[in-house]
Amino acid sequence: MMGPATLEVVSTELPADGECSRREEASLDAAETLDHFLAGVERRAFRIAQMALRDRDDALDVVQDAMLHLARSYGGRPSGEWRPLFYRILYNGIRDKQRRRTVRSRLFGLLPGSRTDEDGPREDPFERVADGAPGPDRQLMADQAMQRLETAVAALPPRQREAFTLRCLEGMDVAETATAMGCSEGSVKTHYFRALQSLRAALGEVY
Amino acid sequence: MSEHDVERRDEALERRAREVFEASVEQLDVGTRARLRAARQAATAEIESRQRPAWQGWLPVAVAASAALVAVLLWRAPAESPVPVASSGATAAIDALEIVAAGDDLDLVAEDLEFYVWLEQAGLDVPDAHDGGQG
Repeated sequence: MMGPATLEVVSTELPADGECSRREEASLDAAETLDHFLAGVERRAFRIAQMALRDRDDALDVVQDAMLHLARSYGGRPSGEWRPLFYRILYNGIRDKQRRRTVRSRLFGLLPGSRTDEDGPREDPFERVADGAPGPDRQLMADQAMQRLETAVAALPPRQREAFTLRCLEGMDVAETATAMGCSEGSVKTHYFRALQSLRAALGEVY
Repeated sequence: MSEHDVERRDEALERRAREVFEASVEQLDVGTRARLRAARQAATAEIESRQRPAWQGWLPVAVAASAALVAVLLWRAPAESPVPVASSGATAAIDALEIVAAGDDLDLVAEDLEFYVWLEQAGLDVPDAHDGGQG
């Protein structure tokens, strides 16, 4: 992953003179470090957001907002702290999006003949266009396996879903997951254990 | 099912879930990847602009203020120029008025009035004498 605390090293090891050039170097280094970090998490973060929201555009919006928020609010923090902070921002964005959807679907549900998000996710016609990467059979199997996983994960309560995606799919340890979820490590273990129980019941036969 | 069996099933489930997830990450379409890259670049630009020294933000304002100051100084410079200008009739009158206003030289003027008359006549005659000497 990332080189730990690159920003702090740059700011302390350089000589005292040449303040301007030092700042420019630190800025360049911070930008490069952030770029490297985001490049490493952006696709996974998008898939996690898509699993939670079941919508491509909403997932992209949430990831983009999380990236900007991280740069604005925590860009000066050591890069080793970024991952849990980034996912915390991401999940806040996901929850916010889900709340808005709920309100919107309730409002529009009052109108006769209206379509709500409960009817299913919006479909992007371009997602059906073949990408050409893997073979069709293998792609189909992978799609089906992912579809089952997505459905099972989406059915989890929000906190269990967060614990499962961060611990299992993103590979965070308990402490990082606790920071990302904003709860204690004990809560993480409990949520994760329950998530595994539910997923074992839902996917046990095929996984 | 024993606890050990449950653990093994859980580990298998976790491993399979990770595999499926990683595969789906690798198979993201080109359009989504492009949008993620654009979002990342926007975030990187944000951190670059935030960490730029504060004085760089004020640089255009300082340049504009300096240019305005120089323009004002250049505009006002002729009126306050220390370079002497040729006396005109108006400035000669002002000089005479100052002499009169000073008062202390008026006695000298009265006593040597004849001398000044002679001096003026001699001054008028000088060009003629000079012309005659050369002719």
